[in-house]
Amino acid sequence: MEKQAFSPRIIAFCCNWCSYAGADLAGVSRMQMPPDFHIIRVMCSARVAPEWIIKALSSGTDGVMVLGCHIGDCHYISGNHRAAKRLALLNEMLAFVGIHPDRLLVDWVSASEGSKFQTLVTGFVQRVRELGPMEISGQEPMIKYQVAD
Amino acid sequence: MGIQEDQIREVQEIAGRLLLDKQVAAVVGLFSNHGHVGPHLFSSVDDLPGLALEPRYPLALDCRTLLSNFPKDRLGVVVRGCDERALIEMAKLQQVDMERLVFIGVACSDDQARQCACEKPYPRQIDVGEKVDGLSPLDDKKVQELIEQDMDARLVFWQQEFSRCIKCYGCRNACPVCICDECLLEETCWVEGGQIPPHTSFHLIRTFHIADKCVGCGACEAACPMEIPLTILNKLMREKLKELFHYEPGMEVSQRSPLITTLEEAPIRGL
Amino acid sequence: MDYKNVLTTCPYCGCGCGIYQSSIDGQLQRPIPDQTHPLSEGRLCIKGWSAHEHVASPDRLTTPLIRRGENLEEASWDEALSLVSSRLMELRKQHGPDSLAFLSSAKCTNEENYLLMKFARAVIGTNNIDHCARL
Repeated sequence: MEKQAFSPRIIAFCCNWCSYAGADLAGVSRMQMPPDFHIIRVMCSARVAPEWIIKALSSGTDGVMVLGCHIGDCHYISGNHRAAKRLALLNEMLAFVGIHPDRLLVDWVSASEGSKFQTLVTGFVQRVRELGPMEISGQEPMIKYQVAD
Repeated sequence: MGIQEDQIREVQEIAGRLLLDKQVAAVVGLFSNHGHVGPHLFSSVDDLPGLALEPRYPLALDCRTLLSNFPKDRLGVVVRGCDERALIEMAKLQQVDMERLVFIGVACSDDQARQCACEKPYPRQIDVGEKVDGLSPLDDKKVQELIEQDMDARLVFWQQEFSRCIKCYGCRNACPVCICDECLLEETCWVEGGQIPPHTSFHLIRTFHIADKCVGCGACEAACPMEIPLTILNKLMREKLKELFHYEPGMEVSQRSPLITTLEEAPIRGL
Repeated sequence: MDYKNVLTTCPYCGCGCGIYQSSIDGQLQRPIPDQTHPLSEGRLCIKGWSAHEHVASPDRLTTPLIRRGENLEEASWDEALSLVSSRLMELRKQHGPDSLAFLSSAKCTNEENYLLMKFARAVIGTNNIDHCARL
């Protein structure tokens, strides 16, 4: 199947305190995971601004994961509350524009849940493979010129 | 035609009283001059004969400028439903002081409501005009057509619409809740400069940034020279805000956007 | 409360979109597109939206400048105009009227353009006159 052959580009935003440590644990424990994702560490899942995800998905990234602490366990008390609500609404907007909602995954991974990280990533990479590459660049712009700094 | 003239007279009366009683320093409304109608500051009753009620101008931004330049004065303003909601939302963002505003509420007619496909074509207190029922966004034909399409078709539709964009920033300039001093849309790291049409991220970033503030005034679509149907997305986002958070922007100054509160204060419902 | 909304026309292209230029105490505020304009119908392009910015721009020249050596130095109008007229007459005498060319602008009024055209043709004696919109 052609779609299986494509290697998706995936960004995973992991919060410093829980999910990044969970990812680290998965790595140290030598858990098998597909290599098609890049982790960007942020201090809290609330730091993930909507324009990051919009820019990513509209510029060639095929999928975005945002992983934070479990609700109630956020290092900054309620950062993940904002992330949950903001990203839930963002997902709805992406769906209205024609970007499949499964391309944005928001979940909570604690520092000891290395295996959950492995399951999430493996499942997400597979799902993005099924969805195919994100094609939004479309046409060449009509006018393009160098902008002076 | 007759209804319009009566309404104008009533508004003139109320505005005249406010000015003569010195309850306000001036009234913000529309002035007609040789067939051209534009926003005007009625500082005395002499100008009132030229008052007009159509076409619709988003007066909220002018109120904001006036209130910040004249910090000691009270201002009267002729508001439709959308103007009032915009001012309430601006008050939430601390851009206007509601204590210094006196509203002259004008309800829109059936034709006017249909023109904007407005959900709530009347202000909280109606001083002039009769209340008419609004239209649900899901009754809007363009919104229905979009929802019926599948993912790929929706993407193609929006790619086509956004390909006409000339990056005039009209949507942002006309929007009453788009008030950031440093606009993200002008930063080249989010929207590449020198490109027409701009990258799709331009529209997506703007739509999401105002998603919890949009009052459905339609000024963005009215200001777009390329007639991009921006209100489709805004209407759908307002419906989702209602569905997920039971929240409507522009209702009460004391309400806060669900996106800046904790899950205890505003949980996600019906997911 | 000195708030004025002046109906004007965008100075840029030939479309002539209607703009209500708002001002407070003489300071220009935001432009408001004229919803009742038969052509522009309440819409503006990026040039229309920023047409007011050059008036109070910090980049704007406030005095004439004369290049002395490598630097541009401030000068009075009398100094600048005397220099321009003497040099123009000098060049015309040395190299002939057709060695001079005149370039006008769409941001000038029709009257100013006419004046420059008369100056070029009648005073200097050349028809090397053009306009940024090639009129």
